[in-house]
Amino acid sequence: MKKSGAETVIESLCRNKVKTVFGYPGGAVLPIYDELYKNCHRLTHVLCAHEQNAAHAADGFARVTGKPGVVISTSGPGATNLVTGIANAYLDSVPLVAITGNVAVPLLGKDSFQEVDITGITQPVVKHNFAVSDVRELSGILDAAFEIASSGRPGPVLVDIPKSIQTDVCDESEFLRQELFFNELPEVDLTAAVSAITAAERPLIYAGGGVTASGAEKELLSFAEKISAPVACSMMGLTSLPAGHPANLGMCGMHGSQSSAKLQSECDLIIALGVRFSDRATGNTAKYKEGKKLIHVDIDLAEINKNTAADIELCGDVKTVLKKLLSLLPHQERPQWQKRVAEVQKLDRLPEENTLTPRTLLKTVAGYCEPDTVVATDVGQHQMWTMQYFPFRSPRTLLTSGGLGTMGFGLGAAIGGCIANGRKRTVLFTGDGSFGMCLQELATAVSQNLPLLIVIFNNGVLGMVRQWQTMFYEKHYSSTTLNRKTDFPALAKAFGAEGKKVTTLSELEKALNTLASDRPTVLDCQLDMDEFVLPMIPPGGSVQDLVTGRN
Amino acid sequence: MDLFTVELTVANHCGVLNRITGVYAKGKHNIESLTVQKSHDPALSVMRISSRGDAAVQCQMLRQLHKLLDVKTVVLLNNSML
Repeated sequence: MKKSGAETVIESLCRNKVKTVFGYPGGAVLPIYDELYKNCHRLTHVLCAHEQNAAHAADGFARVTGKPGVVISTSGPGATNLVTGIANAYLDSVPLVAITGNVAVPLLGKDSFQEVDITGITQPVVKHNFAVSDVRELSGILDAAFEIASSGRPGPVLVDIPKSIQTDVCDESEFLRQELFFNELPEVDLTAAVSAITAAERPLIYAGGGVTASGAEKELLSFAEKISAPVACSMMGLTSLPAGHPANLGMCGMHGSQSSAKLQSECDLIIALGVRFSDRATGNTAKYKEGKKLIHVDIDLAEINKNTAADIELCGDVKTVLKKLLSLLPHQERPQWQKRVAEVQKLDRLPEENTLTPRTLLKTVAGYCEPDTVVATDVGQHQMWTMQYFPFRSPRTLLTSGGLGTMGFGLGAAIGGCIANGRKRTVLFTGDGSFGMCLQELATAVSQNLPLLIVIFNNGVLGMVRQWQTMFYEKHYSSTTLNRKTDFPALAKAFGAEGKKVTTLSELEKALNTLASDRPTVLDCQLDMDEFVLPMIPPGGSVQDLVTGRN
Repeated sequence: MDLFTVELTVANHCGVLNRITGVYAKGKHNIESLTVQKSHDPALSVMRISSRGDAAVQCQMLRQLHKLLDVKTVVLLNNSML
C-alpha cells in the first residue's frame, strides 16, 4: 500500500507503542500534524508552550515509563529550541526520540526560511541522529531510532525529516532497512570481582542511574544485604534503594550525606554500579581512589576508565551482572564495618525545627505524598535539598536534571511525568530562579487539567550561585539578587491555576489540605536567602575538605 | 606524546566523517593525518586517523569511536602495520 512520509511517521510511532507525543507545530511539520489530526484516536499530542519544555516533558515521560519519550518540532527555531532538552536527556541517559521537520529537499543547504542543520547542531549531544533523504528509508530509520534510544545505554535520537519527504509517497514493499553497527556486550568474567568482594573488609556500593535503567533495584537490595555493604547513590541513582533502608547512605558527592563521604573515604573496595564518576559525585578523583580497589560495572564500555581507573572492569547491564554475582557470592557478615556504618549514619540526623525552612518544607510535603508520587525538581539549592531530605520510596519517581543541570527542566518534566503516571498528583520543587525559566508551561498544565503541586522555594535570589559567591567570591553578589516583584499566586491565577503564598508551616499544611484536583497549584513559599546547602565538598576537594557548618 | 593511528570501517554516507572527528574534537585531540576511501563494499568506507595521546587516551578514543553506530570496526594500528 502506498503511504506518504507523514503517514509512515504515524504508523512507525504506533508500531513502537507510542500513545503520547509532546510537541509544537510549524511550517515544516504541517504534513505530520495533519496526520496527527486524523489519528487523534490512537495518538495523543500534548501541545506545549515552548519546544524546550516539550522536550523536557518527553524526557520526564520517559523517566517515569522507562520507554522512549517522543517530541516533535518544526525546523529552524523549533529544532534549535529542542537542543537543551536533547542535551539534558543525553547527559542523563534518557531514551528520547526527537522528530524535527526541515525545509523541502530542494531548499536544503540554501539558508532557506527556518532552515538549520539540526543533525550537525545536535551531533555531540545525541546517541545518534538521522537526516532522512529518501522516503523509502523513513520507516526503517524511525524503527532504528526507537531501538537505539532504548537499547544498551539509553539516550536521545533525533530524526530530521524534510517537508518534501513527509509528502513523498512510496509503497511499503519499497521500504529500506537501516544498517547499524550495534556493539555486542563482551562475556564478563566475574572471578576477579568475586574474590575482591569476598576479600574486602569494608566494601561500599556506589549506585547510579544504571540501576534504574536496568530495573535492578531488587537485585541491588539483595546484593547490599548479602555482602553487608552500605550503598551511596549518585543523584541519578537516588531511587535505587528506598529511603530509610539501613544500608542506604543517600546521595554521595558534592552535597551528599556526611555518612557517604566518610564511609567512601574509609572503605577498601568500591563497587560502582551503572555510574560514570561525575566530578560532582567524586570530587578529587586521585584522592577518591586512594588506597582502595574499584570494580566498575557499566553497560557502556567507554565509561569504564574514563574518569576513574577501574581495577576490575565489568561491561554489562547492572541487573544481569548483579544476578550473576548473587549466585556466586556467599553471604558475608562484616560486624565491625556494619557497626561503623551505623555509627557514621548518626551524623546525617537532622535537628528538630518548627519554622518554615527548606527541610521542614520538604518533610511536610513528603507527608502528603504517596510512595509512587512522581517528584520533579529544577536546578539549584532546592534541588539539592530535595535530594537530601525527600524520602524517595519507589524507582522512577524522581525527575531531575543531573548531568546537564538545566534550570527550567522541572515544569516540563513534571507535566510529562504526571501524564505518564496516570495524571496523578505530581510534585514539582522549584526555585524562583528556575521557575522563571519555564513558567509559561503553566498554560499547558492548566489546559491538560494536571493536578501538579508546584512548590517554589522563593528566597529572592539565585541561591546556589549566591552560596558560592558567599563561600568563594567574598560575598560579591553579582547578578544573583533577583529583586523581582513577581506575584507568583497572582501569576498562577492569571494562567488559570491556583496560587497561594506560604510564610509559615501552618499555612503550608492548610494549603496542602485544600489542593485542587483538576488544575495545578502554585505554592509560593518564602524562605531565607542565606540558607546554605550543607554539607558541601568544595569543587575538586575530598572528604577532608567537607564543610558542615556556616563557619 | 605518542602518535597513534586507528583504522576504522564505517558506513559510507554523508555526515559520518563529522561524527568521527567530533569524538576527537570533544576530547581536544588534534588530528595529524586523515585518509578516507571507499572499500570493496560500496556501503562501507575505511578511515585512517592519526592523533597523539598516551595509552589511557588511546584506549578511551577506541572505546568512544567503537560506540558510534556508524562504526563497524575500529583497530589501533601498531608501527609495523603502517
